[in-house]
Amino acid sequence: MRHPKLTGRLSVPGRKARLATAAMLLVATTMAACGDGQDDGDAKAGAPKAPATIPELTKDPLTLSFIWFDWPPAHALEDFANAEYKKERPNATIKVNTVPNANWHDAMFTQFAAHKTDFDIAILDSQHIGEAVTNGNILDLTDFVKNNIDVNAYNPYLLAAYGQFPQAETGKRDENASLYGLPLLGDTWTMIYRKDLIGDKPPQTWDEMISVAGKCQADNPGVSGLAFHQANGSDAAAVTYNTVNGIYGGNLWDPKTRKIDGVLNDAAGQEAMDVLVNKMKPLTAKGSGNWFIDEVNAAVAQGKACIAFNWIAASGGLLDPKQSTLGTTREQILDKLGFATLPSQKTNLVPLGGMGMHVSAYSPAANQAEALNFMKWFERPDIQKKWAAAGGVPARTDALESPEFLNAGPFNKVYADSVPRMRDMWNVPEYARLVDIENTNVNAALNGAKKPKDALDDIAREQQSVLDSSGRKGGGGL
Amino acid sequence: MSEPVPLTTDGPGQVASATPPARGRSPRLGDRGLAVAFISPALLLLLAMSVFPLLWALYLSFTDYSATRGGPANFVGFGNYTAILTSAQVHTRALTTLIYVVGAVSLQTVLGFTIAYLISRRTHGRGLLTTLFMVPMMLSPVVVGLFWRFMLDAQFGVVNSMLGSIGLEQVEWLTRQRTALVSLIVVDTWQWTPFIMLIALAGLTAVPRYLYEAASIDRASEWFRFRTITLPLVWPLLLIAVLFRAIEAFRLFDLVYILTNGGPGVSTETLSFHVYKVAFLGFNTGTASAYGILMVLVVVVLTQLYLRYLNKLKEG
Repeated sequence: MRHPKLTGRLSVPGRKARLATAAMLLVATTMAACGDGQDDGDAKAGAPKAPATIPELTKDPLTLSFIWFDWPPAHALEDFANAEYKKERPNATIKVNTVPNANWHDAMFTQFAAHKTDFDIAILDSQHIGEAVTNGNILDLTDFVKNNIDVNAYNPYLLAAYGQFPQAETGKRDENASLYGLPLLGDTWTMIYRKDLIGDKPPQTWDEMISVAGKCQADNPGVSGLAFHQANGSDAAAVTYNTVNGIYGGNLWDPKTRKIDGVLNDAAGQEAMDVLVNKMKPLTAKGSGNWFIDEVNAAVAQGKACIAFNWIAASGGLLDPKQSTLGTTREQILDKLGFATLPSQKTNLVPLGGMGMHVSAYSPAANQAEALNFMKWFERPDIQKKWAAAGGVPARTDALESPEFLNAGPFNKVYADSVPRMRDMWNVPEYARLVDIENTNVNAALNGAKKPKDALDDIAREQQSVLDSSGRKGGGGL
Repeated sequence: MSEPVPLTTDGPGQVASATPPARGRSPRLGDRGLAVAFISPALLLLLAMSVFPLLWALYLSFTDYSATRGGPANFVGFGNYTAILTSAQVHTRALTTLIYVVGAVSLQTVLGFTIAYLISRRTHGRGLLTTLFMVPMMLSPVVVGLFWRFMLDAQFGVVNSMLGSIGLEQVEWLTRQRTALVSLIVVDTWQWTPFIMLIALAGLTAVPRYLYEAASIDRASEWFRFRTITLPLVWPLLLIAVLFRAIEAFRLFDLVYILTNGGPGVSTETLSFHVYKVAFLGFNTGTASAYGILMVLVVVVLTQLYLRYLNKLKEG
């Protein structure tokens, strides 16, 4: 037995020295992994300010990076910006990094959490702004906007929705509130309907729409009456319920008192859930309970739905004959497909979609300067019209009313008409958890895992608990 | 033959002072020093990649720290642990995980052992069959999830198409509460049955032939030979395979993320998937750390009990 001897040979001071060395190694590793701790100690609540004027721009080659989720507008932006922005800034290259939609929030905020981002401009959903501002992840653009952007050129609510925090009242902008972003891409839902199956005139009310879809489904075996977002990932099922909730006169919350329980699940909210689960769901295809943007588009393109609802910015592919069975040319497809604003019922509200541009607080100074310059350039009237012609949805009123935009796609007029009707979700730091609660419960109701009333009551109770537990010590997030 | 120099045998420390350093080596660097120098990089890596995160997570689990909100980590005692252990949300996910682990591992064990038994009885093509059966195990779980998602699609999937061709109704595999968890179990079984099969096959191959020959001489039935020779000798190895699979199944995340995203509702949300949501949707880092530590504890305790049982089995 040699090992006992070996151990016995070691002197006590030797063992102590080794233990001390191991402890020091552990401490050193800990210190190295934690950094100097300055970030945590100095973490400020609130966003750092961007300069009021654009600092001197670098003449060296520079790549300006964006982060977005993977969909056609992301590729359109990269192509458009590289073609147009390079004319003014030849040394700048635009790179739009994309991630799957379901990972979009995580991809941005895990980098924000590390206080180091591989992007200069984060394309945030309007509801992400609260979380990013509260954590100090994006620059405060208020002074920059005052000096460089003509705010009167926009519908006030569009400017507020993509930049203002605290959240603006629906349809308005608080001119005293700070701005943290500028509009990049406007969006809302459009109703896509089969003109050859239900006629040229789209339904005007939500009840009429359900009735027409039911008749169409009965008359056309193999074609479902409706197709809409029901998945429990991203904000799919939540946006669907919120849309029906708004149309039937419901409210998501009372922002002044931060009250959800009793507001969301009031009589109007219950009626909306009943309409969605008991009247609309039976008109959808079997197994459509996990459908989102792509699946709805596929159903329309393959002629499997009479009426569908989807985001305008994701609808361009429907007119591509290579992706459609409805015709061999764009004109043939347009003979069968119509695009309309959402039918109204008790109100005419439509969901606000789209995203804004926000400058990462952790981007190098030269890139932040370039980002500000890009944003100023992008909001110019001539560039907004070019963006519209390239397939983008601008935010400036003059661009929205321009022939470049209105003639670029059959759904663009739908967007222009929808702007005054838009309503957003909650823009609070707890957004990601609120939307997850709503998504999973609406998805459960749509797929028979919960009764509609129970699902709505659970949403209200759980969301209220999230808002109420903001200052709770321990156990948050369950 | 001269006595071998005990430099590389056991007890290097004992001979370090007696053996002169090799030519070219610093006389101050003894064998022990050399050993420490060689293991230090690996030790440092282990400290940095495994020990430190575990200790750090343990520390965070007693705080209300959030990775995005920053600020100081306030001590909350056992607040996170109490909240997790008393949360109805966590109990639901624990039950889902339990059903999934028991269902998937049982099915995989029965199927894996059966396939291994059948293969072990073949004399020709055993290697080829084993290789073919192992293909699913070599695929990435995300790839497996994606193509099963297409195959199980209610509208366009090949599974429903086959059911339709024999006159059966379409099944909503991934969007109904009853079928979604079953679908996850089936997909996991498709991928990981080969693992059990491989271990069982190793055990079956190691059973001495003379035991079967002796049983044949005694005219023992096939069932008697299986019950008294094959199963008792393969059982301990099979239990180890079950242990590995159970630990893997307990921390299932990828298939859930790709196939059902936890739905419908939260009916297929496992504990790991829930931890992910706690950690990255609300960035409640303290709570997520406590959740992770509790999951590790559950696995460690169950594994210890299981290993004790295995040892008893071995001694018996």
